[in-house]
Amino acid sequence: MKEYSLDISVTPPKEYESYFVPVPKEFLEDAYRSDDFVVFTGPQHGGSGHMRLIIRVKGDFIVEVIPDPGYVHRSMEKLAENRLYIQNIPLFERPSIIDFGNYNLGYVRAIEDALDIEVPERARYLRTILAELGRIGTHLYDAGILAVFLGHTTGFMWPFALREYIVEIFTRITGTRITGSFVVPGGVRRDVDEKTLDMIKRMLNALEFRIKKFERVFIRNPTTIARLKGVGTLTKEEAVDYGVVGPFLRACGVEYDVRVVEPYEAYDEIDWDVVIGEDGDGYTRFLVRVEEVGQSINMIRQLVDNLPEGDVLSDSIISFNRKDIRGSFFEAYADIVLPEGEYTTLTEAARGTLLYSVISDGESTVPYRVRIVTPGWMYLKGFMEACKGHRLADLQAIYGSFGYFPPEADR
Amino acid sequence: MDEMIEFLHDGPLSPIKKWGTKWSIWPTHLVTACCGVELAHAFASGYDGERLGVLNFGMARQTNCIVVEGAITRKMARILKMTYEQMPDPKFVIVMGVCGIKGGLFWNGYHMVKPFEVVPVKYFAPGCPPTPESLLRCFRALQDEIVTGEAKNTIAYPKIRRKKEEKRKKPKKIPPTPKYVALNPSVVVDVPRDRKWDYGTEYRGKIAEILGELAERVTVTGIYRIHVRVRLENFVEAARKLRDSGFDHVKSVNIIDIPKNRKFIVEYQVSSYLRPEFVRLILTIFTEIDREEASFPSLIDVWPSADYLERELHDLFGVWFEGNPWMGKPFLLAPDTPKNPLRKDFRLQEEVYIGGEKK
Repeated sequence: MKEYSLDISVTPPKEYESYFVPVPKEFLEDAYRSDDFVVFTGPQHGGSGHMRLIIRVKGDFIVEVIPDPGYVHRSMEKLAENRLYIQNIPLFERPSIIDFGNYNLGYVRAIEDALDIEVPERARYLRTILAELGRIGTHLYDAGILAVFLGHTTGFMWPFALREYIVEIFTRITGTRITGSFVVPGGVRRDVDEKTLDMIKRMLNALEFRIKKFERVFIRNPTTIARLKGVGTLTKEEAVDYGVVGPFLRACGVEYDVRVVEPYEAYDEIDWDVVIGEDGDGYTRFLVRVEEVGQSINMIRQLVDNLPEGDVLSDSIISFNRKDIRGSFFEAYADIVLPEGEYTTLTEAARGTLLYSVISDGESTVPYRVRIVTPGWMYLKGFMEACKGHRLADLQAIYGSFGYFPPEADR
Repeated sequence: MDEMIEFLHDGPLSPIKKWGTKWSIWPTHLVTACCGVELAHAFASGYDGERLGVLNFGMARQTNCIVVEGAITRKMARILKMTYEQMPDPKFVIVMGVCGIKGGLFWNGYHMVKPFEVVPVKYFAPGCPPTPESLLRCFRALQDEIVTGEAKNTIAYPKIRRKKEEKRKKPKKIPPTPKYVALNPSVVVDVPRDRKWDYGTEYRGKIAEILGELAERVTVTGIYRIHVRVRLENFVEAARKLRDSGFDHVKSVNIIDIPKNRKFIVEYQVSSYLRPEFVRLILTIFTEIDREEASFPSLIDVWPSADYLERELHDLFGVWFEGNPWMGKPFLLAPDTPKNPLRKDFRLQEEVYIGGEKK
């Protein structure tokens, strides 16, 4: 089809200025001239957490997507510079509170690395259990949000009902539903009793049984397959170039999992497989995460069965009560000072690689600078590129298949 | 027109209108922050908010209620106001989470706004995050208010008369704040720590071989962590060499502000997905740039994954990444945010320890 350029003067609508649209005026004018449309999606849309996508479409094919993130930018990196090392633990789980185990773990491991704290075995197992429970919870959460994006209300209700199990376990272990802050330097806050461990095992059976049903309702549903298959494909090279992380990278066929590459906590003591996809499309990205839920269930079973006896707090942190930190927090942690230098940890959070870089000046009781790169922020580029060339109606499916969670990305 | 509205509100049929409003509070889908997780639980099958006629609805123009979930940023405040104005009457706002009351965990953040300064709020559900029950109780209170017209607290604490304490204990002495921030420290990022890593020297040799003359200093700073100091003029070339030898993606871009030496340290943390020997290694190449005229060559041609990280740091520090197409435009921050908030000379409000004495 031949294209004609129209040499007419076009003025962007008045709202352009008052709405603080981040794209330049020339972009809009250029789009008008070449007979494209610029469509604004969000920030108020059906997903979880909010961002704006500025989409340039030709017909209804997406030519370019410009992200406008920052609607949930809560200035965490700056706040961290004003708080004690220990006060930052609850702060740093706020990017993704459903996945608090992994978020605590990354930051706490940076401190432990700097101070050479040896963590007791039981604590390492408990941390891994928390991290994996968080992973299951997050994947279920994302499945629910994906279902909302596809307009599949039943698919939303199921995973959130399943999440109630996870949340219940979190309540038993940590005392709160989703913001645990349970991992502290040198171990975990307190011990977990036999009754809870027993309950975890029974919960896993119930969860597994219901996930099979959920598979029939939503995962293998022809509607889901039709909406996701072949949509938002990233090749292996593209995924590596754009720095995609986590399950979305593995869906493209790259064998990279921090838990294998750099085993932390108890990951090298249990049997499990890395889930790798091939196609790199939306459905594979979803399936990889579904498979990971199965792997996590398997892992938690092993961890609970082999949970070693002993203390849950390190000797160097607290000497008189190594089963429970309550009441000794100030004493144990208030004056932590890291030696000078930079400490970087990688953690495999549910949505991908989470990087903490703690920089200390060696004198202050607060970090000099903390850099957090959350998985959501890293795969945003890949997500934007995956949308190109697809129809506007597929945008929601791609958004959902990435499980993009703005609070996590914006920090 | 006014008579009609009056008739609607107070006429003989007004109970029907009230009844209709009561059981159809559709909050608009404006999930503003992390409390949205509990909101989703409140409307899913576990708590089933729909039995109260409450379920998130996509469009603001057909809803009566906004649930503000927690933190409102400067950027979001504008959207909140717009969404609020789009809603038809009557309008209700429920605020979830402590961030919406006094700021909560983020009370002194540079990008935060209190929602009650933006829109009139009916009910608050405190908690971080509040449980679904407490959110649903807000809705119950709102429904009662629609019918009866008076707002009530949902919790009434019993009044306990305090007995006179006979022996007054000595007031507990609160320790002074342990917070100590060094004034103008000098920061070194590549402190050598190679005592625990057996292959440290081997890897250091490999990196030195790849970079050759370009590397000023190669330091092992931890297990599988290597810092390379590179001169600014060699930075792009060094990056290209690393890229060609298998470091195919950026894990993080970081800037550290050191006002004492009037410089920024710019760090690129790179690693490899495809070359097995470097998969575990995190290589940090860094250089120092002048703080006043902060400009740096962008590496998006070498590593496209650095694009959004550079844009973000341009927002936060004001460093100009030469070659990145988004320079000079806000990306993450709202236009009315203070400029370059992560520089050290931008200070946040300090907290006060009540009872604690200063050191």
